[in-house]
Amino acid sequence: MKAKDFRSPLEPVWCTGCGDFGVLKGLTQALADLEIPPERLAVISGIGCSSRLPGYTRSYAFNSVHGRALPIATGLKLSRPEITTLVVGGDGDGFSIGLGHLPHAIRRNVDLTYVVLDNGIYGLTKGQSSPTTEVDFKRVRGLAGPDERPLNPVLLVLSSGCGYVARTHAGMLPHLRQTVRDAIRYPGFSFVHVLAGCVTYQTPGYAQEIYQRCDEVPAEYDPSSFQAAMTAACAERFQLGVLYRRDPGDGPLDASEAPGLAGIWQPRPARVSEDAAHEE
Amino acid sequence: MSAVRAPDEAHRQPPPRGTSHSSLTLALVGSGGDGVALLGDLLLRMAAQLGLHGMMVQSYGPQIRGGESAVILRVAAREVGYEGDRTDVFVCFRLADLRRFQGAVRLHRDSVVILEQSDTQEMPEWIGRSERETFRYPFARFENGIEVPGDPKNMLALALVCKVLGWPAALARETLGQRFGHRPDVLARNLAAFDRALGGPSPSEVRIAPGEGKALFAETGNEAIARGAIEAGVKFFAGYPITPSSEIMETLMDELPVAGGRVVQAEDEIAAIGMVLGASFGGVPSMTATSGPGLSLMTEMAGLSSMAEIPAVIVDCQRAGPATGMPSRTEQSDLNHAIYSGHGDFPRAVLGVFDVVHARDVMHRAVHLAEKYQLPVFVLSDAYIAQRRQIRGPVGERPPISRRDLWSPGMGPARFDLSGDHGVTPFRVPGTPDGTYLAAGIEHTEEGYPTADGTLHHRMNRKRFQKLDAIAAETREWFRVLGRADAAKGLVAWGSQYGLLDEWVGRHEDYRVFLPEILHPFPLGAFEAWRERLGSLAVLEMSYQGQLYRYLAGITNLSGARSITRSGGMPLQIGELERLLEGEER
Repeated sequence: MKAKDFRSPLEPVWCTGCGDFGVLKGLTQALADLEIPPERLAVISGIGCSSRLPGYTRSYAFNSVHGRALPIATGLKLSRPEITTLVVGGDGDGFSIGLGHLPHAIRRNVDLTYVVLDNGIYGLTKGQSSPTTEVDFKRVRGLAGPDERPLNPVLLVLSSGCGYVARTHAGMLPHLRQTVRDAIRYPGFSFVHVLAGCVTYQTPGYAQEIYQRCDEVPAEYDPSSFQAAMTAACAERFQLGVLYRRDPGDGPLDASEAPGLAGIWQPRPARVSEDAAHEE
Repeated sequence: MSAVRAPDEAHRQPPPRGTSHSSLTLALVGSGGDGVALLGDLLLRMAAQLGLHGMMVQSYGPQIRGGESAVILRVAAREVGYEGDRTDVFVCFRLADLRRFQGAVRLHRDSVVILEQSDTQEMPEWIGRSERETFRYPFARFENGIEVPGDPKNMLALALVCKVLGWPAALARETLGQRFGHRPDVLARNLAAFDRALGGPSPSEVRIAPGEGKALFAETGNEAIARGAIEAGVKFFAGYPITPSSEIMETLMDELPVAGGRVVQAEDEIAAIGMVLGASFGGVPSMTATSGPGLSLMTEMAGLSSMAEIPAVIVDCQRAGPATGMPSRTEQSDLNHAIYSGHGDFPRAVLGVFDVVHARDVMHRAVHLAEKYQLPVFVLSDAYIAQRRQIRGPVGERPPISRRDLWSPGMGPARFDLSGDHGVTPFRVPGTPDGTYLAAGIEHTEEGYPTADGTLHHRMNRKRFQKLDAIAAETREWFRVLGRADAAKGLVAWGSQYGLLDEWVGRHEDYRVFLPEILHPFPLGAFEAWRERLGSLAVLEMSYQGQLYRYLAGITNLSGARSITRSGGMPLQIGELERLLEGEER
């Protein structure tokens, strides 16, 4: 199969030079590599520039309402497990209005692949700041104080217990293709953070600047180490690659790896049977 | 709570002593923890075993747990959907708790009254007077003036009520065995208390006419909604706990997986309906259930369901609103929301639930409409039905349910084809080869692709709204009428007013009643035919502003009709309805 087998007849309406083109290309290449029949594929999104992507794929595509792609995908996957289900969207859709759903999708560990195209801006509504807009960014709209700092999506999903966390860049096509392919193969909830520039509402040269701030993780990087992943998530430069990959058979994260999270990751106590009905 | 009421004429006329009553109402009042609800539950189970009909409503405080607790239980020889307005047997563990249930307990000359022996409180005036001797029993045990745990009060009361009604002790023991079979220690303690009270002094007796001879079945409105959904073929449910709807999800958690389905407790109501739309997009009949505040959160995606033409059933157990309102109280004030909510124009169907027996049937109809017409269907239950336990007969035969009209390769029509005349186009289920398409909340072409073409938007609106015409044609008989066809006075009401009005027309032959089962689209033709030759017409509902009245006024001429409304959270009673119809001030 070829990437074009996964393209719908619809022509993208993204701005010339938008990073989303690269993601569409890399994603369809990954799907072709995996030879998933289009009728067994569903691509679900919310609202935003990047959420238009399902419309450009040949799949059972669903462009829903703002921020709610994850619940819709969860319902689909739970009722139709044989359908490969991808969720795509932007930083506003996923980390602002829809953020409440993300840790829950992660803890349910439904076999979804969530690809977030992060351009650090609200492009569709013309330039307001997003949850990942950097502090020194000269906003077109949505002026915020210097204390309004950006979210760190990778740190967020790692600390929520996500079993597969990767980061790539929209301009690095082979890397993106390989990352998405690997994430779809992962049997559980997988998260792919894609750095994608906005050529219209970001400061000129922003996409290039982001690219220059990226490093691929070194060959000896151990993605099974949660400590390493947390360090990578907090690094000053963007670390690209599979940052964390827990063996799907391993169950919940081992608390000893992350002492700070020990309270969150306590195994559940055995359920005590209570029948106080006679005291109702 | 409603105001002090004088006992009205009907309640001063007890049936002659020594006969069997066709129905009896029991009021059981205690503090939270006394086991009043369990006592009522056990008695209702026994009634069902005896082949009797009946129902039970519970009353509890606004914070849901703790405080006082009351149960009104009615047992009857025929099906009833109203708990009655005269108390034949009154059991109270603490008269101080009665204060909160003013109006719910109304004694008459022949009532049996059982009180705690040590309770020195005076009976309030509003409760009425019985001419029978009050039976006092030491339910509580005291040491140094402080109440200490003794025998479970509810088990002592169970024995006393069995003696009052003449119900077999063996049946009570058997029912207790079923309830506590998994806790032998609790069962033994309860049985010991039951036997101790059974061997002691006896209150006076009242008798109920014998039942149908075969055992019947009791369930709550929420259980009936859940079971009706399973019977109708629902295979996916997602919800979020909210009073008074939570037991729908809880029942489905137990019973839907057995039927091959799946239940998810979502992180919020928005996620719940999102999951429902996702599952339904996958071709699986799906539903959610919520109450007022949750319904508000689901509104955006109800529009998505209609726009993307994805079936969804949304059950709303109405409580008193707005905002948090009174979660443990009932109301009929989500009607506007169900019919009109959301931005933009979108078709949806709205059904009302009459009572527990009807709840299963209404779920069949809701699933049928959602699947056949590919749109959201709202089912309006309310707290009065949701948490009532009612005895019902066996489930009867029902017409088959439509399954979604599915697209298959070679069929041709685009997903949102405009050429039909009923608005419904074959549904493309993921997994079907060559059927890929874009489902969207954005306006779309026939193929599903986004468009801002105004003409196309108008035509797509027409396609979607054609479904309402088709539904109206199919559902024009979905209503109930009560009373004599030639009665001069007419009442229109909906939902849980059914049981009360069924009783009302039995006592008032000059009234007839019209109750729509489908509220939107409204069965207008049947309504217009029914109201011919009426002398007067009143629209009765439990909302403050008269939502049904205003809705009807928008679709037909209501001039001369009265709007009779009462909010307040407690179900209407017949005496109160009488005064409302006489035009007294609220």
